[in-house]
Amino acid sequence: MKKYKWRIIAGAVIVIALITVAIFYNHKQRNTLEVAIFAGSYWDVANANSYVIIDEAISRFEEAHPGVTVHYYSGIRKEDYSEWFSRKVLTGDEADVFLILGEDFNEFAELGVMKNLDSFIKNDSSFDESRYYETSLKSGQYQGNQYGLPYETVPTLMFVNKSLLNREGLDVPENNWTWDDMYNICEKVTRDFDGDGILDQFGTYNYGWTEAVYSNGANLFNENGTKSYFNDEKVVEAVKFTKKIADLNNGTRVTKDDFDAGNVAFMPLPFTEYRTYKTYPYRIKKYRKFQWDCITLPAGPNGGNVSAVNSLLMGISNRTNNEKLAWEFLKLMTYDSQTQSEIFEYSQAASAIKSVTESQKTADILAEDMEKNEKVIDNKVLSKMIEYGAVTPKFSKYNDALALADNEINDLISNGDNVENSLRILQRQITAFLKR
Amino acid sequence: MKIKLYYEKIRDIRLFIMLVNFMAVLFVNSVIIITTTKVCENYKARDFLNSMDTITWKPIYGLIWSLIIIALLIVSSYFREIVFEDNIVFTYGSLSFDFIISVILIFVLGFNFNGILFMVFANMISYAKGNKGKYILISIALISYLFTDAKLISLSYRIYDINDYFAYYDSNTHQYLVILLNLLISLNIMLFIIYCIFLIQKQQGTIEEINSLNSEIQKANADLKNANDQLEKYAKITEHMGETRERNRLAREIHDTLGHTLTGLSVGIDACIATVDVAPDATKKQLENLSEVARNGLIEIRQSVSELKPDAIERLNLDSAITKMITDMKSITDVEIFFDCKVDQMKFDEDEEMAIYRVIQESLTNAVRHGKAKKIWIVMDKTDYMVNLEIKDNGIGCDNIISGFGTKHIAERIRMLGGSVEFSSDKGFCVKAQIPIRWGEEYD
Repeated sequence: MKKYKWRIIAGAVIVIALITVAIFYNHKQRNTLEVAIFAGSYWDVANANSYVIIDEAISRFEEAHPGVTVHYYSGIRKEDYSEWFSRKVLTGDEADVFLILGEDFNEFAELGVMKNLDSFIKNDSSFDESRYYETSLKSGQYQGNQYGLPYETVPTLMFVNKSLLNREGLDVPENNWTWDDMYNICEKVTRDFDGDGILDQFGTYNYGWTEAVYSNGANLFNENGTKSYFNDEKVVEAVKFTKKIADLNNGTRVTKDDFDAGNVAFMPLPFTEYRTYKTYPYRIKKYRKFQWDCITLPAGPNGGNVSAVNSLLMGISNRTNNEKLAWEFLKLMTYDSQTQSEIFEYSQAASAIKSVTESQKTADILAEDMEKNEKVIDNKVLSKMIEYGAVTPKFSKYNDALALADNEINDLISNGDNVENSLRILQRQITAFLKR
Repeated sequence: MKIKLYYEKIRDIRLFIMLVNFMAVLFVNSVIIITTTKVCENYKARDFLNSMDTITWKPIYGLIWSLIIIALLIVSSYFREIVFEDNIVFTYGSLSFDFIISVILIFVLGFNFNGILFMVFANMISYAKGNKGKYILISIALISYLFTDAKLISLSYRIYDINDYFAYYDSNTHQYLVILLNLLISLNIMLFIIYCIFLIQKQQGTIEEINSLNSEIQKANADLKNANDQLEKYAKITEHMGETRERNRLAREIHDTLGHTLTGLSVGIDACIATVDVAPDATKKQLENLSEVARNGLIEIRQSVSELKPDAIERLNLDSAITKMITDMKSITDVEIFFDCKVDQMKFDEDEEMAIYRVIQESLTNAVRHGKAKKIWIVMDKTDYMVNLEIKDNGIGCDNIISGFGTKHIAERIRMLGGSVEFSSDKGFCVKAQIPIRWGEEYD
């Protein structure tokens, strides 16, 4: 025993030293919260104030939690964010709290990158999930579990070329208009001005079959992505309607140039674009050759004036060392009324918190930069659009399944004739794909 | 010799198993770290994540933890085999510790390599007692190996697959990496099997050794028996020789005493025959002398006879000897003898036993011959260092106690042992003797 005494003592000293270093390192780590965000807007609109909200939130957070430092890397562009963040995930260095791109959400939830927030939500008495729009909250769910909370939410509006309608002697439709109203207007405005046999003025640009599906109250998939409903009557109606609208164009392809030239009556437009290009300074950059406005999307016979609602989500890393701080910060970003109110001020999206979006302050902000004679979108209408909006289901094969369907249906709209039959075939294909 | 050789081989295999395992663990970790670095360098992180089932632990942590656990395993086996070599508590404690940290290591490696279990069980099996324990541990090892299999675990838990990392490389490198990992896994299993075979062979070697030792013992036993038989023969011969010697001594004794006396008597009687008519007075005187000689001769014979041991006591213990004597006495006379023995262990020194036997023998003879007794009571009792002997009869007794050959002989024997004897005659004869017993040999 005696001859090993010194070796044992030396070993013990080394072990104790290592443990001390580990504890010290861990302690230091516990007081730093890493946040991952990208520069600019998620919604592909110009944004000069991309870090204002987070900087403000961080300073409030650090004040409320003395000794805690919140850090983020600035200057990561949205285009690079996915790759940059994936690298961090691979090396295990991802931030504690981070923004999740829509196209990454399903994959990341499947991989276990984000923490399941259900227990936080359940155990935090100061957190009331009903303050969120159900649609926005739902977009952060994967297979029934909450993996992200909506930081910003954006409904889809219908862009209306007021000048064009005026020229044709038509009024801007009310917010409760229907497919028939839309078809009638489109039929009237689709024209060949110069008589060269090529259409010069069109009813819609970018109005796709999915928009019609949402506004006809149809679902394409169930929540878990185990079933699809492409041969459902409502889907058939929607595709038929889209085809009817497209057929008005006689095969002429409507382009972005046609739209920018003011020759298209309708175009689905995210709320962010409306906000950006309706207000100073960006209003002079786009759509300035004509007067325009935004209304809801037309309702189908079985649906309402419903459109897709997209949300930018924020989540907590599954591997975070300080989940409590991370949850607090996540709440500060997505749940705090002040931060959410700042979204209307410094970003172009809407808040996912109902009371914030519906507040008078929001109404004032929305009216602030508008020109005097412009019709300002009512924040109550906006709230309704978000509340009743359509959320795409979250499952790992969703993007691929939708791409497959989109390809087939677009082909059907431009070339096909028997919609019912084609959709039945598609239904079988998609079912097979989902089962694979 | 054979066992020692096996022991060394087994030790070598165990070291080799350890080496293979550590290599495999480092291989898995290196692949993860190197691939991750390459993926990041080539801006393929998002695509790579797409190909994965789940995310890994922080790769560098995986390496650090693997190294720590390997170090702990080495330290544990060092302490178990060198420092606390024969400490059973430490041995079992450290083996359990090994098992637990190995399971942790398997977790750290995302179940991509669970061969480390074989290493742990190889150690455990070498400490198991008997083949049964070994077989049980081997089965547990195989079962836990199966249950930590990545494919099985992946059915219920999301785990990352090292093959996803291999798949990043071009098909050539991919193939080499797969082969290398499988080679390490197979080598590990092969080594474990070889190890088990050696262990079982070692066990059999031990059995053979024991068997050969056993047969040697049996041979020695047979030799001993043989020697014993011969010794018995010698003893019989010696006994026979002793008998002869004793007979010679008796003959000599008879010759010396009886011969001498009888010779003297016959010569004297011859002289008397010659002188009886001539000188009757002188002859009468001569006859008186002869009578004296005859009496003296008789005494001498009695003395020499008294030196001969009684047969019974030589063969039997004291208790049985006395009982036999009483039975014998009962069979030739019509005396009733009551023997009351209050001594638990009738085992004394030889001279003490002899004295007790003699006292009883003489007393019985006297009671029958002189006292004409019909009933005799023998009471034997023991106080701390004394045996108290009392022989009483209902005979005629005698008014005047003569110190005859019998009583005198009794008294002499007891005095020699430092005891005392008392004779009394009141309604029969009574002998009370107190014989001191030497302490310490009583319980032999």
